Amino acid sequence: MMLDGALVWLHDTAFGTLIRESTWGEPVIETIHVLTLTVFLGFVILLDLRLLDLALRRTPVSMVFRQLNPWLFGAFAIMLLTGISLFAGDPVLFYGTIFFKLKMIMLLAAALNVVVFNLTLGRRLMQWERLPVTPAGAKLTGALSLVLWISVVACGRGIAYVLPPP
Amino acid sequence: MHALAIWTLDFCRWCNGSFFGHTIRDSAWLFPFVEVFHLLALGLLGGILVMLNLSLMGVRFGHASTRELARELRPWLRGCIVVMLLSGFLLFSTEAVKLYGNWAFQLKMICLLLALLFTATLHRRVLDRPKTGAPVRALTALVSLLLWLGVGLGGRAIGYVTTAASAVAGS
Repeated sequence: MMLDGALVWLHDTAFGTLIRESTWGEPVIETIHVLTLTVFLGFVILLDLRLLDLALRRTPVSMVFRQLNPWLFGAFAIMLLTGISLFAGDPVLFYGTIFFKLKMIMLLAAALNVVVFNLTLGRRLMQWERLPVTPAGAKLTGALSLVLWISVVACGRGIAYVLPPP
Repeated sequence: MHALAIWTLDFCRWCNGSFFGHTIRDSAWLFPFVEVFHLLALGLLGGILVMLNLSLMGVRFGHASTRELARELRPWLRGCIVVMLLSGFLLFSTEAVKLYGNWAFQLKMICLLLALLFTATLHRRVLDRPKTGAPVRALTALVSLLLWLGVGLGGRAIGYVTTAASAVAGS
């Protein structure tokens, strides 16, 4: 199968081999991955809580977005880079776990949630963000996002438990 | 000092044998389940601290002053700390005696104690006083970030120290 071929190819690249065989590669990259989570997940949760009217209620939604977005995108880039690096260390093994597949599905769903919001309520942000209560659709987006990102974290943790010990 | 060490070790033994320690240790899914709560609280706590400390360093978050931001986020900050301490204690109780001798865990606890004290006293005071000078605000933010980073790095290192120790013991 093509996917299997790609996984083996990634496994055998110089990069994948370096991650797998170096003593410090994996712990250092994983530490960066987890510590960046404090910024990425923290800001995502804050945004979701704002959409749910549970935190930062006095700041307009667009203002919260504008202030948090650069940090969010920066942190996501680091999460993605470190995540792909960890994956490259043993792609066949990772892909073989149910939690890795679930995590990827949840990630895609979380991204889809953002896209749908931006195409619908996000376009009319100016019309509703100063209302005392955010519309039900925005609350739904926030709640979905919370559930999806919590699942991403839980699945990520799950991977470590189903992998054979090093 | 000697008495404190004995008392701490006794406490660790008690945790190990406690209902929590037993129950979580004997379950296949309770440990990861509690761990996810620990991680989620860590995420939000980190986000809030980064936001407040950036605000102290002069980054503006909308119209809100640092004091207003701190007032809005404080209940969540407290909530996160409570969840982290509770879930952390539960995780700790499954292997308390092992962690007693783990230098990474000791480092984490020292940083945690300092970080909690700092957050409840000086950090809080500077957040609530808009007239504090910019250098003091920036320094407060830096100390807060470094202390909590110490907690995070110590926490990350625990697993690696344990693995290294058991590898030595096994060889």
